[in-house]
Amino acid sequence: MTEMSDPVSVSLPDALPEADTTPTPRSVLVWRAIFVLVPLVFIVFLALRLGTAKTEHRAEGLAPHLEFTTFDGETINLDDLRGKGVMVNFWASWCDPCREEAALLESTWRREKDNGIIFLGLDYLDQEPAAKAYLAEYDITYPNGPDLRSQVARRYGISGVPETFFIDPEGKIVDIVVGPIANQAQMNSYLDKIRPKEK
Amino acid sequence: MPTYAKRLASRENSSVRIRSVPLIRVLLFLILLALFTGATLTQALAQTPTPDTSAISADQVNEVARGLWCPLCSGVRLDACELKACEQMKEMIAIKLAEGANDEEIRAYFLEQYGPQVFGEPPREGFNWLAWILPVIGLLGGGVFVWFGIRRMTSQQAAVIASTPAQASLPSQSDNYSQKLEQELSRYD
Amino acid sequence: MLFNIGFLILVTALVLAGFGVVLGFAGGQQRNQRLVQSSFHAVYAVAGLVAIAAVMLWYGLLTDQFQLTYVWNHSERALPSFYKFSALWGGQAGSLLFWTLLLSIYSVIVAAVNRRRHQMLMPYVNAMLLVTSLFFLVLLVFAANPFKQAAFVPADGQGLNPLLQNYWMVIHPVMLYLGYVGLAIPFAFAVGALISKRVGNEWVRTVRRWTLIPWMFLSAGILMGSQWAYMELGWGGYWAWDPVENASFLPWLTGTAFLHSIIIQEQRGVMKVWNVVLIWLTYFLVILGTFTTRSGVLESVHSFALSDVGPLFLGFLILILFGFLWLLFKRLYLLKDEQYIDSYSSREAAFLGNNWLFTSITFATLWGTFFPMFSEILTGERISVAAPFFNKVNGPLFLLLFLLMGIGPLLGWRRTGVQALRQQFTWPLIAGVAMGVVAIFFSTNPWPSVGLAVCAFATATIVQEFVRGVLARRVSNDENVLVAMGSLMRRNGRRYGGYIVHLGMVMIAVAIIGNEFFQQTTNVTLTPGEHVTLGGYDLTYVALETNQEANRTEIGARMIIHDSSGKMVGSILPRRNLYIKTPDMPTSEVGLRMTLLEDVYVVLNGWENGGATATFTVFVNPLTIWMWIGGLVLVLGTLIASWPHPVKRTTNVPAGAAVAAAGD
Repeated sequence: MTEMSDPVSVSLPDALPEADTTPTPRSVLVWRAIFVLVPLVFIVFLALRLGTAKTEHRAEGLAPHLEFTTFDGETINLDDLRGKGVMVNFWASWCDPCREEAALLESTWRREKDNGIIFLGLDYLDQEPAAKAYLAEYDITYPNGPDLRSQVARRYGISGVPETFFIDPEGKIVDIVVGPIANQAQMNSYLDKIRPKEK
Repeated sequence: MPTYAKRLASRENSSVRIRSVPLIRVLLFLILLALFTGATLTQALAQTPTPDTSAISADQVNEVARGLWCPLCSGVRLDACELKACEQMKEMIAIKLAEGANDEEIRAYFLEQYGPQVFGEPPREGFNWLAWILPVIGLLGGGVFVWFGIRRMTSQQAAVIASTPAQASLPSQSDNYSQKLEQELSRYD
Repeated sequence: MLFNIGFLILVTALVLAGFGVVLGFAGGQQRNQRLVQSSFHAVYAVAGLVAIAAVMLWYGLLTDQFQLTYVWNHSERALPSFYKFSALWGGQAGSLLFWTLLLSIYSVIVAAVNRRRHQMLMPYVNAMLLVTSLFFLVLLVFAANPFKQAAFVPADGQGLNPLLQNYWMVIHPVMLYLGYVGLAIPFAFAVGALISKRVGNEWVRTVRRWTLIPWMFLSAGILMGSQWAYMELGWGGYWAWDPVENASFLPWLTGTAFLHSIIIQEQRGVMKVWNVVLIWLTYFLVILGTFTTRSGVLESVHSFALSDVGPLFLGFLILILFGFLWLLFKRLYLLKDEQYIDSYSSREAAFLGNNWLFTSITFATLWGTFFPMFSEILTGERISVAAPFFNKVNGPLFLLLFLLMGIGPLLGWRRTGVQALRQQFTWPLIAGVAMGVVAIFFSTNPWPSVGLAVCAFATATIVQEFVRGVLARRVSNDENVLVAMGSLMRRNGRRYGGYIVHLGMVMIAVAIIGNEFFQQTTNVTLTPGEHVTLGGYDLTYVALETNQEANRTEIGARMIIHDSSGKMVGSILPRRNLYIKTPDMPTSEVGLRMTLLEDVYVVLNGWENGGATATFTVFVNPLTIWMWIGGLVLVLGTLIASWPHPVKRTTNVPAGAAVAAAGD
């Protein structure tokens, strides 16, 4: 404390160099630019990543492209299903919560399949024998197929399984349900939003 | 049993909306559910005709699994992964082995199924070459930079020495080690 | 009520820290004593307030105040008090508060120790440390309030994540944070030196010690984390190149590079720009690491939940980046090299090589860690970059680094002549080659043999240095061996402490080679009385044992180990812990028998019918214990190297004198 108040000890020595006035050579400027730009690009990427993690672009606009081959060898393209209400369910045989909704999905499908509604099941990060066993166990009859390389899952930005997308006849995502659909009433309320209007 | 969403929510800070739960959390949650519920799997598998895998030992499966990575986790090797999904992958390896597939074929199969993320390293193709090349470029570029940096300095030093011969007396290389050590140590006395 | 005050305390600390930043910069600029004085007071006051806030959260945790969302989320009544205490750093908000607390404590010590020594620098150092505190207080107040309360009081909490209920997981984060947080100090000094234009050697010497201490904690923290992974995760390894692990490893790499290159600046007055850049990089990587583990930018098994802290971190990273570079460019003219490097065969050149390798490893690790992010944004494809990539890329670089670690000490400052080279290299080279030849007999794979040869070479270098030093003292001072050793450490702790750290690193390298290349493993299902043989050991499964604790059930499978001669050498109990709050998330506790030569390591994978059969993964991991021994040696060496010298160094060696005095 005491020595801090000594004015001598805080004065700068005279001989400190003053700012250089000679112009900076170009090579130095290039180096400076590199030093600034490289971390800047990095931070821009971080920001982009943070942005995509946060925004909920999934619930708005048209459903992303969806095309897959079912376990039975049939090719399904979402574009061909315009005019119908589409439910896309992501599941896996190793996923226990998926089992909670499996029976509900199948019974609803049997009831609604003639009402302009179609159900699609995409098997996420799974093995075919186990998946087929799962389908057999719950006697699932709507189109199901493996999501190879998780391409659809990534396009839809799912956060896990089960996750269910409700797409209206115009091809827009209306609702997203993370986790199993709890009961018939909940199911119906979602389906009512995607029913074709003509009916 | 509480519903999935409720349990998810309860794991999280209550202010966090369910939608913003990152994938890994959900996956972790699924790990929990998947663990210790392997029984259903074996039962289910029994329903589809598959090759007899009883001759395939766990060690043989793990030999292959050691080269693969859990697609649901981050940095967990398949042989050490206890997720049900991983158990199924190992079952699949056993089936493929029983069918006579070799390591390469099994890897190709998983690549087809899950994409390059099962390999734990970027595939050496297309954009992913960058992952491998850039560290090498960095290393070599840095090496060249340091090498020429030293060369520039040594040549400048040579010029200084040439202009002022008095300073050119470098210490003799035959200097006695103990003498030098003592000199150095004495700086602290 | 009490916890509303806690939040207010954080707000007050925030305001005070902001005030202190202004005081520090203004006081330094105007050389106004009263302002400078106040900046010290601001440091102390912020520390006091943060400490009170931390104590309040601790109180909340220990007395089960579940109306606090944080306590509810990370504690429960049945949790042992030890873990209630450590739950302070078990979650997002609490760990940020803990970070701030440690930084405040560091700041107070720095301020108190250096207020006389570095009067010109200290106002800026205070200000810079407060800038970091300020940032973390902003996070606490605006994005992650640890004192957030629910409208009602829940009966019980959610419980602490079972993976964190482990002894190592309690101290590992403390060590890691002590390392992380401490690295803010050298950065503060570097900025202070640049702003005050005092870029001479004084700050460098202070900063060296203030880097060594956090470096030691960081090293210990990383090793404890590895220890935890080894004991808990049950895959026979200790390091997975996981993004969070890499986040702690990156500042360690640049910090280590800095600790080496600062020596050439001190001795020869070169590399000044590079050194401040390294310090800045280290600090940047610390903040980046804290950010990546908390923002969900990279998914990792260890990360905290996604929360609102991301954008704030991003803003701070930008501030550090541009603020520092702007300052550096403005002061570049001050950082001219005083001398030149004379020769490639000099210790300076070896240090440059060291920096080149460390920087390359840092770059490769950073690139690999973030590559999945780049790849997903640019191509939409999901890639995982895990151990295979890092081992392939970093493995050879580390080999070169260890080679250089052996070569460096053998070279003299400025220039090493042919005769000296021969004299210095003969024995280490013989040792290295001999080791390589022996190792070839044990392994068909050339890599471990080359690795072990390099380790032997580096060890021989260190031993030779010690032998020469001791002999020299015996001759000149007539001391016996032990006294001579002692006086080497005491009188030149920096150098010989450094060698001991090198020795610790060699031990860690040996452990890695043993585990990576010579591990044996098998997977078996046994009924009681059955046994399995692996690597000369015979393990017999006896029975399942159950133990009920307050918040968990421990189920273990007793195994008896016999060695190849049939002698019983131990009994182990690989376990599974089933936590009552999270029954579907059992943790694994491996059964472990450690010896200096190899570990028998058993994981209990599962059981059926109450233990009628049990499945195990058995590993034999050669030499793994040397990783932990090496860690202890490393800490010891760092302490010797950073111990205050009994006799204060006189002055900076003048340029000409360095030639005579520093050569060896």
